[in-house]
Amino acid sequence: MLMRRQFVLTLILLPITFGIWYAAGTLFAAPAVWLCDFFLSNVYSEIVDTAGLQGVEMTVRMQFGENEGQFLPATQAGNQIALQTNTRLVSYSIAFYAALLLASNLQDGIYKFCVGLFWLWVIMAFGLASIVGKDLLLMVGGPFLNSARVPPGDFLALAYQFNVLLMPTLAPVCLWFWQLRGSPLWEALAGDIRRASASAKT
Amino acid sequence: MARFLLLFCGVLGSLFAIEMLKPVQAALIQPFTGLLASLSTAIILPFDDNVIAQGRILRDATTGFAVSIEAGCNGVEAAIVLIAGIVAFPASLSHKALAIFAGFFFVQALNIVRIISLFYLGQWNYTVFEWFHLYLWPVLIMLDVLVVFAIYLQWLGKQHSEAEPA
Repeated sequence: MLMRRQFVLTLILLPITFGIWYAAGTLFAAPAVWLCDFFLSNVYSEIVDTAGLQGVEMTVRMQFGENEGQFLPATQAGNQIALQTNTRLVSYSIAFYAALLLASNLQDGIYKFCVGLFWLWVIMAFGLASIVGKDLLLMVGGPFLNSARVPPGDFLALAYQFNVLLMPTLAPVCLWFWQLRGSPLWEALAGDIRRASASAKT
Repeated sequence: MARFLLLFCGVLGSLFAIEMLKPVQAALIQPFTGLLASLSTAIILPFDDNVIAQGRILRDATTGFAVSIEAGCNGVEAAIVLIAGIVAFPASLSHKALAIFAGFFFVQALNIVRIISLFYLGQWNYTVFEWFHLYLWPVLIMLDVLVVFAIYLQWLGKQHSEAEPA
């Protein structure tokens, strides 16, 4: 009964949380973009100059530019390549997480939401970095893969699939499940889990 | 709990890596994606005879609007999450096999609804199509996975209750 209530309430709350998320625009994406900028401009300082927000798009300026089809250091090319990434591709996880958490009506809900939000920003930063990695792999190819500390192409493809296609929906579920502990819904679930585990042992 | 988490992450990562392998994509994922497009067309055709399936592409013969079912849109990733959860949770092999089979069916059933809805939403309004495609449907598919897993846990519990002498 509690589980049914949880799912029905989540479905009802989704349009509301998605509306707030959309209206908030850059607010929910900004910390993830800062983290992504910190990560990329420190670990891949030879490739990435800086990353910042322009509206809901994350603009990543590269350390190289393009001249007559050739990728050259920005100073030689006389220009700087910039990649734009839609931050909403990963930030919608916040709207989903908020709907799940609100539907559970947990104690210390706001505190739990803040903790979950922090972890979602970290996960979103990896998602944004994965999109940049995939774009560079497709656009620059060999010269990018031959740069220092750049993982193999297959890893970049896997990271993109995992961090962009899966994590925005999986991470909110995992966080919500973790934060459920101690709630009436958790007790109901734990009862099911205990019976199911006992069923496996017999 | 720790055992479940470890197993879940291990199975999830392994299945995800296997799904990305080129031979698996060529032999399994691409034909399966094509099958999804054909199935969607077969469901739409009695109501709308302008729809054509070309491999992974669903096309409207009149307007020319087409949707291509790509990686991430074929429901395989969501099914992998469900399979990882079922495999990681302690249960008998027959229960796991049945749950994987039924769970895969439910995920794909909703995925076909998603494909068909996106096909028509795209013809109606591209902004609404993008919203549903990029943000709302992935969430609904994951909720579907969660519901199926919760039902599986309840079903396992009931099996145990029925097996216990009164």
